[in-house]
Amino acid sequence: MNGLETRRFSSRALVWTALAGIVVMYGFPFLYMVLTSFKTPLETIAVPAQVWPTTWTFDNYADAVTRSGVGASFINSIVTAVLSTLISLLLAVPAAYAITRYRTGLGRAFILVALITRMVPAIVVGVPLIATFRNIGIADTSIALAIAHTTISLPLSIWLMASFFESVPDELEEAAKIDGCSRLGALWRVVLPVTSGGVAVTAIFAFLASWNEFLFALLLTAVRAQTTPIVIANLQTQFGLDWGAMTALAVLYSVPVILLTLVLQRHIVAGLTLGAVKG
Amino acid sequence: MMLPAALFLGAFVGWPLAQFVGDSFFNISPMAGGPRSFVGFANYAEALSSPEFLNASWRTAAYTIIVVGFEFALGLTVALLFTALGDRSRVFRTIFMYPLMIAPIVAGLLWRFLLIDNFGIVNELLRQVGILRSTDQIQWLSDPNIALFSVAIPDIWLTTSFITLVLFAGLQNIPGDIIEAARMDGARYPTLLIRIVIPLLRPVIAVALIVRGIDAARAFDIILIQTNGGPQGSTETLSLLIYRTMVRFGEPGLASAMGTMYLIVMLAVAIVAVLAIWRPGSDAR
Repeated sequence: MNGLETRRFSSRALVWTALAGIVVMYGFPFLYMVLTSFKTPLETIAVPAQVWPTTWTFDNYADAVTRSGVGASFINSIVTAVLSTLISLLLAVPAAYAITRYRTGLGRAFILVALITRMVPAIVVGVPLIATFRNIGIADTSIALAIAHTTISLPLSIWLMASFFESVPDELEEAAKIDGCSRLGALWRVVLPVTSGGVAVTAIFAFLASWNEFLFALLLTAVRAQTTPIVIANLQTQFGLDWGAMTALAVLYSVPVILLTLVLQRHIVAGLTLGAVKG
Repeated sequence: MMLPAALFLGAFVGWPLAQFVGDSFFNISPMAGGPRSFVGFANYAEALSSPEFLNASWRTAAYTIIVVGFEFALGLTVALLFTALGDRSRVFRTIFMYPLMIAPIVAGLLWRFLLIDNFGIVNELLRQVGILRSTDQIQWLSDPNIALFSVAIPDIWLTTSFITLVLFAGLQNIPGDIIEAARMDGARYPTLLIRIVIPLLRPVIAVALIVRGIDAARAFDIILIQTNGGPQGSTETLSLLIYRTMVRFGEPGLASAMGTMYLIVMLAVAIVAVLAIWRPGSDAR
C-alpha cells in the first residue's frame, strides 16, 4: 500500500477488466494445448480449428506413454534433475555461507565471477564437455548431464543462498558457538534450519533449470540418458507431425511443475525477486 | 568452503571455455581424434567475412530487442495494473506466473501449433472476429519477413511474468510518502509515472532487462523447435548457426571462432551491466 492503488470505483472496474483480459490471453495457450491433447487425431488438424473437442479421448495419452523411450526419458529427467539439485546445494551452501560470513573481497569477486559464468552460452561449454565426459567414462549418463545442468544452476544457487544467509543475524551463530558448536556445526544445526525456506527455493530453481533444459541434453545424451524434452522434440521428426501425442506428452511433462508452482507460489516469487529488488 | 564450488566451476565451465577458445585457432577435422592444424586467426577472418555470421549476429540483436522491448512494455503495464489492485491481485498474479515453469521446448512447440496457418487457432480466432479474411492470410512462421517476430512470441509469453514479478516487487518498495507528496503537488497519474515511479524503479528495471536480454540472446530450443532457423534462414540466430556449423557441417574450428566472438560480446555487455548496477565493493547490496 503506497498510494499507487486506485480508489475510484470506475477506474477499479477498468483495471479488473484489463487484467481479466490479459489473464485470459495468457492462460489460453496452455488451456488450448490441454484441450487439444484430448481430441482425436483428425480433429487436431481439422479446419477450421475448434477450441472444445467434439469427442473426448485418452488415446493420445495412451499413445504417448507407450511409445518406446518415453517412460525411460521421464525417469531420466527426474534422476538428472534430482542429482543436479543435490550437487548444486552441496556446493552452493558452503560457498554462500563462507561468502556472507567472512565478507572478504575474495567472496565478492567469487560471486561476481559465478554470476558472469551464468551468461556463458550453453553451446560454448557443452561442446568441450562431450569430450571431457567421454574421457572420464561417463558419456551418455544422467550424472554427466546433471553435472552440466549444475553449471547453470550453481551460480544462481550461490547468489540466492548468500542472500538468505545475509538475513540471519550474527548473534544466532555467536550463541551457537558459545554453546560449543564449530563453524560447520553452527551452519548445520542453527543457520540451515532457520533458512530452510531459502534452501527450498534454491532447490526448486535448480530442479526447474535441469527439468526444462534442452541444449545440454541434446549434446550430452544419446540413448541411455535422454530426457523428455529431447523426446518431445524428436516426436516431430520421427513420426511426422503427430500433434496429438506431442501435446499429450507436453501436458504430462508440464503439469507436475505447474502444480508445484501453485503449491509453492509464495516461495518462488520470493526467490525470483530477491536478487533484483535488493540490488 | 568456497573451494569445492570454485573447483567445480573451474573444471566444468572454465576448462571447457578455455578449450573452446583454444579450438578457435585450429582447423579441426570433425572426426574425434582427427588431425588439427594451427591456423591463427583464419577462422575469425572466415567468420567475419561470411554473410551468414553477420546476418545471424544482426538477427540475434533484433530478436533480443523484440523480446525485451515487448516484455518490458507488457510487463510494466501488468505490474502497474497489479499494483493498482493492491492485495486483491493475488489470483491474477498466480495465473500470470505459470508459463515461467514451462520448458522452452514445450512453449515453442505449443506456439508453433497455435500459429500454424490453416488449422492454427490464432488465425481462426482472428478470422472469426473479422481481422483476417482467411486463415492463411498471415503465415506467421513461414513468411520470412515476419518469422523472426513470430518465433519471439513464445519467448515473450514465457517470461514476461518474470519482468512483471520483479517490477511488481519493486513497485511495492516505493515509499508511500513520495507518492503522497507528488499527489499533493497536483501530479496526475501519467506525470507521476514518468517523473517519479519509473526513475525510482530504474535499478530494478535495469536488472530485469539485463537478465532477460542475456537469456534472449542465447535462445536456442525455442527457435529450433519452431522453425529450425528457417524459412530461408530468416530466424537463424547465432546460437543456431554455431550449433549447425559445429554439429552438422563439422567445422568445430570455425564454430569456435564464432562462439568466441559471441561470448566476448555477451561478457562485455554483462560485465558493464553488472559493474554499473551491482557495484561490487560498495555496501549497496
